[in-house]
Amino acid sequence: MRWFWIDRFVEFERGRRAVAIKTLALSEEQFDGYSPGYPVMPGSLIIEGMAQTAGILVGELLAFAPRVVLAKIGKAIFHLPAVPGDLLRYTATVADVKSDSALANVTSHAGDQLQAEVELMFAFLDNRFPGGPLFEPVDFVAMLRAFHLYDVGRTSDGQPLVLPPYYADAERAAQAAYEKIPSPVVR
Amino acid sequence: MRFCLLDRIVELEPGVRVKAVKRLRPDEDYLKDHFPRFPVMPGVLMLEAMYQASAWLVRQTEGFAHSMVILKEARNIKYADFVTPGKVLEVTAEILKQDEALTTLKTQGTIDGNMAVSGRLILERFNLADRHPSRANTDPYLRNELREVLHRLLPDAAA
Amino acid sequence: MAVTKDEVFKKVQTALVDALGVDEEEVTPKATMVGDLGAESIDFLDIVFKLEKAFGIEIPRKELSPEDILTNADFVQDGKVTAAGIAELKRRMPFVDFAKFEANPQVREFSNLLTVGDLCRYVESKVGAA
Repeated sequence: MRWFWIDRFVEFERGRRAVAIKTLALSEEQFDGYSPGYPVMPGSLIIEGMAQTAGILVGELLAFAPRVVLAKIGKAIFHLPAVPGDLLRYTATVADVKSDSALANVTSHAGDQLQAEVELMFAFLDNRFPGGPLFEPVDFVAMLRAFHLYDVGRTSDGQPLVLPPYYADAERAAQAAYEKIPSPVVR
Repeated sequence: MRFCLLDRIVELEPGVRVKAVKRLRPDEDYLKDHFPRFPVMPGVLMLEAMYQASAWLVRQTEGFAHSMVILKEARNIKYADFVTPGKVLEVTAEILKQDEALTTLKTQGTIDGNMAVSGRLILERFNLADRHPSRANTDPYLRNELREVLHRLLPDAAA
Repeated sequence: MAVTKDEVFKKVQTALVDALGVDEEEVTPKATMVGDLGAESIDFLDIVFKLEKAFGIEIPRKELSPEDILTNADFVQDGKVTAAGIAELKRRMPFVDFAKFEANPQVREFSNLLTVGDLCRYVESKVGAA
């Protein structure tokens, strides 16, 4: 079980609002024996998708410099179960951002129906947690690209989002290194 | 039940409380992504462990009267510490109140006796027959499947 | 129209009930944030968000969390806050009554000082409540 609980972003406005989708497939691991005969999506994994949507929205605003982790779920309400075949649409808005924390509100819709809503608080890990970034920069960039972040992402002026310098440099350096790797030789 | 966040139920007092444990195995798949350089149990899985323990308490308390016991609300779930690989999260849940459809529980998770997560959960209980008449036959099937899972988690449970 | 102290208390009470999941009855002016209401550092982050939103004010971290004073070698000795440190704390947090703390100024006891009333007085000073 990998830990991607959104499929991709469909809208993304820096620091304001992000919309991501998550398609539920019966073949996914979490449905295996969870509620046999009537599989339902675990609420915790819906919260995670909403947290990933909001967490990346907050992170991007801060050039992915702080290490953003979930600190508190203020209130999560599930209005109806989500089931295989549903396409959940998570809409996140930033309520407030500080130097050490951020607050976001996220809703989950199945079609037109409000399926769930949550208030999330994120904390940014300080130096009590040594060890640098949570992700390897190049893999992190690949993940963001997989989420279509840099295809749909826009600044508030409507300009396309670009990678922050630290990540752009890491990507460039990796690509230069790839050039140097010799191709396998067939004898 | 693949998405099972409990290794075993240590105690279950019907109508009152439940205690269960989950050890974070270093080889869990999701640790590769959460996070590559700082593997820790995702907060929502700590919540899921608390929810699952709560659901078993509710089911056993009402003798599996309802096939569906789902998470309706989670309130003030706050995280105080990370579960690192190899550590055991001990979750407990206590029933605070219950009406015909909803059960409110106070839950927490500790690591070596220290608080790691806490909050309140509201679980909703129903039978598929009440909402989806065409699925009425799933209720007994589902109840039976879940009874078997509980038996594996808590071998001493009355059948 | 100026905000009254009663209105401040009601809004602070609501923010604490939401953030801490405690009952309204528990949130009295004398209740201590940490000891009585069980607030932890994560909760203080949430409480600040809620108070800022409820009152339209800005709450700089230092004004409610004087970590910098409590970890400053000039103001702390052998786990106790010095007279200079106490003076500094009083300057930073005039809404807190330090009398009891002065009698036994252990750094680790500091977190248990702040009461709901202190928080209300702090907000009052920010909004100019009558």
